[in-house]
Amino acid sequence: MTAARLIINEIKGYHRFLKFLMVLVGLGALASLVRFIFGLGVTTNLNDTYPWGLWVSFDVVTAVPLAAGAFTLGAITHCFHIKKLEPLVRPAIVTGFLGYSLVSVGLLLDLGQPQRCWHTMVFWNPHSPMFEVSMCIMAYTTVLFLEFLSPVCEKLGYYLPLRVLRTLEMPLVVAAAAISTLHQSSLGTFFLIAVDKLHSLWYNPLLPLLFWISAIFSGLSIIILEATMTHKWLGQEDESELLETLARIIPWVIGVYILVKAYALFFLSEGPFFDRPRMLVLFGIEVLAGVFVPFFMFMQKKVRNNNRLRAIAAGLVIFGLVVNRFNVSMYGMIHEGAPYVPSLLETLVTIGIIAAEILFFVLIAKYFPIFEHHPETVDYSLPDKFRKVEKHGSVAAGA
Amino acid sequence: MSGDIKDFNKTGAFLIDMTKCTGCRGCQVACKQWNQLKAENTTFFNGEGYQNPPAMSEYTFTRIKFRDYQKNGQNEFAFYKEMCMHCNDPACASVCPVGAFKKTAEGPVIYDTKRCIGCRFCMVACPFGVPKYEWSKAFPLVKKCTGCYSRIKNGHKPACATACPSAITYGPRAEMLKEAERRIAARPDRYLKKIYGKEEAGGTSVIYLTALPFDELGFKPVTKRPLPSYTWQALRLVPGIFLTVGGSLSLLSWFTHRKDRLKKEEEQRTQSRKHSDQNQEKTE
Ligand code: SF4
Ligand code: SF4
Ligand code: SF4
Repeated sequence: MTAARLIINEIKGYHRFLKFLMVLVGLGALASLVRFIFGLGVTTNLNDTYPWGLWVSFDVVTAVPLAAGAFTLGAITHCFHIKKLEPLVRPAIVTGFLGYSLVSVGLLLDLGQPQRCWHTMVFWNPHSPMFEVSMCIMAYTTVLFLEFLSPVCEKLGYYLPLRVLRTLEMPLVVAAAAISTLHQSSLGTFFLIAVDKLHSLWYNPLLPLLFWISAIFSGLSIIILEATMTHKWLGQEDESELLETLARIIPWVIGVYILVKAYALFFLSEGPFFDRPRMLVLFGIEVLAGVFVPFFMFMQKKVRNNNRLRAIAAGLVIFGLVVNRFNVSMYGMIHEGAPYVPSLLETLVTIGIIAAEILFFVLIAKYFPIFEHHPETVDYSLPDKFRKVEKHGSVAAGA
Repeated sequence: MSGDIKDFNKTGAFLIDMTKCTGCRGCQVACKQWNQLKAENTTFFNGEGYQNPPAMSEYTFTRIKFRDYQKNGQNEFAFYKEMCMHCNDPACASVCPVGAFKKTAEGPVIYDTKRCIGCRFCMVACPFGVPKYEWSKAFPLVKKCTGCYSRIKNGHKPACATACPSAITYGPRAEMLKEAERRIAARPDRYLKKIYGKEEAGGTSVIYLTALPFDELGFKPVTKRPLPSYTWQALRLVPGIFLTVGGSLSLLSWFTHRKDRLKKEEEQRTQSRKHSDQNQEKTE
């Protein structure tokens, strides 16, 4: 089989996968139409006992930390100035932007009065974590959009906006990190109000801090997984050397997480841990498979330097994060007797949203060289004067 | 939010003496009438108690729960009137992103239908499971007991308190608490020595007296701390965290980038020096 044939076959394979994704997105869109015509009661299995279900648990509480790669990597690359990680920043921003856009879609579907979503901007209630999160998500999506504009301007050769964006780059990176810190942690604050409702395996006053730390290492893991997969299946550049660097950072963050979680569990939690076997099992899966196993994997050089093992460890981290967010926002809130199980339509909408995220990412990665951006070509030092950018901005000068 | 109300002694409160309740459910009917709530289709179910409908809902703001028990070998009934507790520092109001819930100076916690965006956080937050949702509608709103705010504003008592022949007293909270204490002191054999709602969730505008232990009647065991304080202890740090993270990252990047720039400028300088040296050599 010649190389050309291989490529053709591969493209055929992609096409079927992309078509499949498109069908899933279509089904999700249809299902969400049902919500607007017949109401939330018909579409979902929500009721007065379980006012929040799959859409809040996955589309918001889980999807937000999964899109955390952009702010973590931005801060590491630009603030700590580990310049060589730069090629990974753009794909992370693309994922972040897609992720947050779809979080907004999920949120709008879940609201009873989506046409009034602008109310949060007019009727402020700073005592509400939901107010804070919605303001942050709006602000952060704007920041991501501006960061996303940079490569677009580069491509189109718009010098002036590019110069403005270059000047804004560092402030945007810092703003992204600060805003993300706030809303990633505030998602945990949501559940601090659920005193006596959330099981004590998860309820403790440090929940916001835990949400923030886990968002950081999950964001980095997502980048590893994504870069490995796009290299393997989309023919993007091989960044394994950079991924090794990321893999060296992750165990430190997980280590801090384990310490904080242990402290919160043993010193700050009230109420019984062992009263419900189901909860214990869920907790065990989350902590063992999702935290400890990847922690020990990432500690080994053998794993960090091996593409497959590294991706597996990253996958485990993400699995652990998903289980954790579901435990906090869904399973841990379910009391005995009346369980909540998502309906078919609810599930279709969420699958549609996941499919849309992958589909858009694949399409962007297919047609734009988002992994080809290399720092050698661009000067990333703070532009102290506009003149400087012009002088070094090889793109601006060369185009 | 109740931030502006400091003194809860004068806010209107319900004193509900369950030992005097006969289970006539006049309050249930009065509530439906005053609030023009639809009747619910119910079926006889053989769970615990004989109450109907089986739970509070968008059509039922209050409900009498029944409980059988044995006293001196005799079968007896005990009751519990479920309704919004009109908390002094309501969880529902604190979590609402648009401030649709408000604790009024008169006592009732009221809901602004025009503000609500339908996120249902209030339902998750309420420790008593009170707010209910219009699940059948495409653009639903939240429903709960209004504390008959419109009646109170016009000098009337709440519909349920007016209809009740024996068990519900309505008046300033301090007076209701004093009356409850007086009753317990006067008939210690009749009452459990506890006033539910005096401290629950930081104090509520609905207070109960019973003969049976509260949990047996279906009262929820809730924390004594006002619920909003649980989230506020994290949220109050928000401006500080924002400034700390933003500030320290800015400082850090200023340092790292400065180092980088200096290095680059140094390189440039040596390069241009070399360049001019070469030029000089050429001219010589
Ligand atoms: S106060 Fe009014 S709305 Fe509330 S239960 Fe009584 S009658 Fe119903
Ligand atoms: S009982 Fe629930 S709905 Fe009523 S005021 Fe308190 S928190 Fe709000
Ligand atoms: S459902 Fe409405 S009233 Fe309840 S918290 Fe959300 S916006 Fe506020």
